[in-house]
Amino acid sequence: MLSGDHKLVERCLQGDDAAWEEIVNSYGRRIYNLGYRYTNRREEAEDLAQEILIRVYQNLKSYRSESGSFQNWILKVARNLIIDHYRRVRRYPQTGGSEELESMNVQDDKLPNPLRKIEQAEAARFLQDGLQALSPELKEAIILRDLEGMAYNEMADLLNIPEGTIKSRINRGRLELARLLIKRRSQNDAGVKGAL
Amino acid sequence: MNCSKIEQWLSEYVESSLPAEETQTVAKHLETCTHCAAVVEEMKSILSVCRNYSTLEMDPELVERILLRTSGRPRTRSLRERVNQYFVRPILTPRFAAGAVLAALFLVLMVNVTIPKLKGSVSAMSSQGVLGFIDHGVRGLYGEALKAYETKNEWQAQFNRLKTNTWNSLRSIKEQMDEPVEGRRKSQDGEPRKESAPKEKTSGIYLLPA
Repeated sequence: MLSGDHKLVERCLQGDDAAWEEIVNSYGRRIYNLGYRYTNRREEAEDLAQEILIRVYQNLKSYRSESGSFQNWILKVARNLIIDHYRRVRRYPQTGGSEELESMNVQDDKLPNPLRKIEQAEAARFLQDGLQALSPELKEAIILRDLEGMAYNEMADLLNIPEGTIKSRINRGRLELARLLIKRRSQNDAGVKGAL
Repeated sequence: MNCSKIEQWLSEYVESSLPAEETQTVAKHLETCTHCAAVVEEMKSILSVCRNYSTLEMDPELVERILLRTSGRPRTRSLRERVNQYFVRPILTPRFAAGAVLAALFLVLMVNVTIPKLKGSVSAMSSQGVLGFIDHGVRGLYGEALKAYETKNEWQAQFNRLKTNTWNSLRSIKEQMDEPVEGRRKSQDGEPRKESAPKEKTSGIYLLPA
């Protein structure tokens, strides 16, 4: 638990609106991006971020610093609401739209040449597609580990499962993604050769 | 060792977190198995893409909505936003743009009109000549200002005369209107007019003093 976060929560509970604004600014972007990784839709991610932060505000009193860091608590609230959202909309699978292209916005200035950059952008598009094809557990593991950069122990705390299970899910998720991308790449290559 | 056993270690292998012994086993397997080698390459590519994945910024309007729906307090604007809100945005309006274009056109026109005249005279002058030219200009401006001041005084005097005449005319008209009708008739018949005590004013016209 960061003492800064604890103080912020305390101030917030005493009615300090500036403290709440600081919390929104600190965690809002992460929550918004987490929602975007799951939904692949900007509007849905905005709605989710709003819903999550409102829920956090309403339940700030229930946060106990002894039970873990504020960051983990807020991520747990976020995850629960994202899963609820997933259950609501999973009957209507999302197909890749124009926003899929946004995932091509890969930020890497160290890339050696434009061709490599295009390849990376293509891989980012494939990755976003591939993530949507994974099962919820594997998708969650990949998002939290590879996109959010969480440590195994943080993930175990957040998801309330052993680290071994986390590692296994990550491995399975990466394997499935890799196979999927190999398959798509070969299909693309066959399509290009056919066109030539 | 078969591929399914190796695949269990691939994720940790690409993360370089696999123990040394298993790492060697996987490396040996990859030398002979093109399938697993391709999977490893793809995994590395996935990790690389994930590391460089763009992060979206929250729309300030979304932050505003969230804050208004929770604490009810609007978002704190940064100095830059405040400058934009109060100075830049009001300036960047169609009206301002039209005004700026007109002003620029006027400036260009003035420069085109005045510069050719100045060019010839300034190039022919020495530093003393330039000072003399400036002095001449200042004297000319002073002379024009004096003329304008005199003209203004003249107009003011004419206006005052006109104002006095008008007041006098109006005063005489008022006096005629205040005179009793019968008295006026008698005086018209040739009878001497009797002096009477001053009466209260009956006319509704009250003129202001000149």
